[in-house]
Amino acid sequence: MAERPVPEEKRVFMTGNEVVAYAALAAGAEIMYGYPITPQNEIMHYWTRLAPRFGRGFLQTEDEISAGFATLGGVLAGRRAFTGTSGPGHILMQEPMAMAEMMRLPMVAVIQQRGGPSTGTVIYSQQEVTMTVSGGNGEGLRIVYSTARHQELYDYTIKAFNTAWRYRFPTFVLGDGYQAKMREILTIYPPGERGIEMVAGEPYLVGPGEPGTDRPPVHLRNTYNVEEELNATVMELIRAYQAAAPEIAEYQESGTGDAEVVVCSHGVVSRVVEEAVRELRGRGWKVGWFRPVTLRPLAESGLKAVAARAGRLLVVESAHGQFARLLKEVLYGSPAVLETMFKPGQGFTVEEIVARVKEVARGGRS
Amino acid sequence: MVTGSLKILLGGEGGQGVQSVAAVVAEAAYAEGNEVLYIPNFGVEQRGGVSIAFLQISDQPIAAPKFRYADVVVALSQRAVARTEQYVGLRTVFLHDSAVGGVEDLLAGRAARIIAIPALETCRRESDPKVFNMVIMGALLGQTDAVSLEGAKAAVRGKMGARFAKQPELRELNEWAIDRGMALVAARQ
Repeated sequence: MAERPVPEEKRVFMTGNEVVAYAALAAGAEIMYGYPITPQNEIMHYWTRLAPRFGRGFLQTEDEISAGFATLGGVLAGRRAFTGTSGPGHILMQEPMAMAEMMRLPMVAVIQQRGGPSTGTVIYSQQEVTMTVSGGNGEGLRIVYSTARHQELYDYTIKAFNTAWRYRFPTFVLGDGYQAKMREILTIYPPGERGIEMVAGEPYLVGPGEPGTDRPPVHLRNTYNVEEELNATVMELIRAYQAAAPEIAEYQESGTGDAEVVVCSHGVVSRVVEEAVRELRGRGWKVGWFRPVTLRPLAESGLKAVAARAGRLLVVESAHGQFARLLKEVLYGSPAVLETMFKPGQGFTVEEIVARVKEVARGGRS
Repeated sequence: MVTGSLKILLGGEGGQGVQSVAAVVAEAAYAEGNEVLYIPNFGVEQRGGVSIAFLQISDQPIAAPKFRYADVVVALSQRAVARTEQYVGLRTVFLHDSAVGGVEDLLAGRAARIIAIPALETCRRESDPKVFNMVIMGALLGQTDAVSLEGAKAAVRGKMGARFAKQPELRELNEWAIDRGMALVAARQ
């Protein structure tokens, strides 16, 4: 066996794409398939530089449709396989992702969101939320972790492999161009040293023995002839997803106990929101923040409880309501007032969020 | 190490070496025990676009990747002035190359200080324009307590180590440029 990619706990200063490559190596990912697109490219660059030293594989395919299907091929062979993409490439990859939902294949994909629609920018956005949680021609039977900082990018990339193989649904780490390109400090570690046991991959196909004689034949389907058969299959998938959802859903909150306004955000925007709320609380404002870590499944009970207490929510996102729509679906029927701050394709500063929260809080008092 | 936090914004034409300066200062600041967050920002162009770098150095963990006002703005080209002026506040020091004109008029009364450095001209006259960005970095170091001179030079060696080994005169040239930039900004104090 080759040397270990992350032999011990270590403080490092690196870009988010480099973090993902190290996390995938530490998680025991065996092969990456991909096609270049900014701002995801350096995941592939670092992976291709590091992977051969640790006996791991890489294949660049002709496009993202192929990269996604090749990832499914790796998974069918029982390998911890992953891919990474962004924007227009992410659109192309929806077909294999939908197949992963139908056949319950544990593909892992890291999405570094860029501006859209279309080619948009190569810089940053949170505009791939809808596509990540419910793209494809299905029911969104996916698991989506939205990270905010490099430490989480490392932690949740490792976790994504385990979640995927434990629950057998396609699993996403949703980052963005800021997280991809920025450099900050984090601690990398071998998962075993933190008590994280990696779930073993196992082949879907080519098991031991003769199919039909020694074992039942494997018959994986993504095509059905009659409506009733498809419906029964999809309902079974949905029931399995719903049963697993409470175990998977994660969220964080702070200051929500006495808050009159709770600021809701996800991903990198959360760190700006946290700082804005910290500043406001320091000056006596009754505000808090709520942040789903999983955008799908969403921590429904946590969100409902916060909405019931606060009465007024402010949703802040670098898209025009893609995240807010996820919250509204859960909050239907809640008397909580939902205010918004949308900046599609653009980042936030602490100052502008502070100003908007004050506006919303004053509105609440009048 | 810095006390409190320092927000630096660098802007220039793609290819002028803005991101290299930011990466070197970021690496040096990390090595000196600071919290650091550096984020490059540019469009799809390989050349001919304006390239921006947001760099924050602090004694506390850093929250937002971008900021409203910079403590120091460094602008290397005319177009970079237009892109960076929105980050200028009343406490901002605006450092620019003397070849860039109209800054005094544009920012009159809006910045704490405006400092013009003849970086490009000095490189042309005394050395080589390819170390223009290192002169600018020297000026930035002279203007702030972001990182030590030695720390910055060590970070340059770390980044350029292989090339310096092949061409030792490159190392001399780069270190001359950093020192020269510091001297130029000191002469403006």
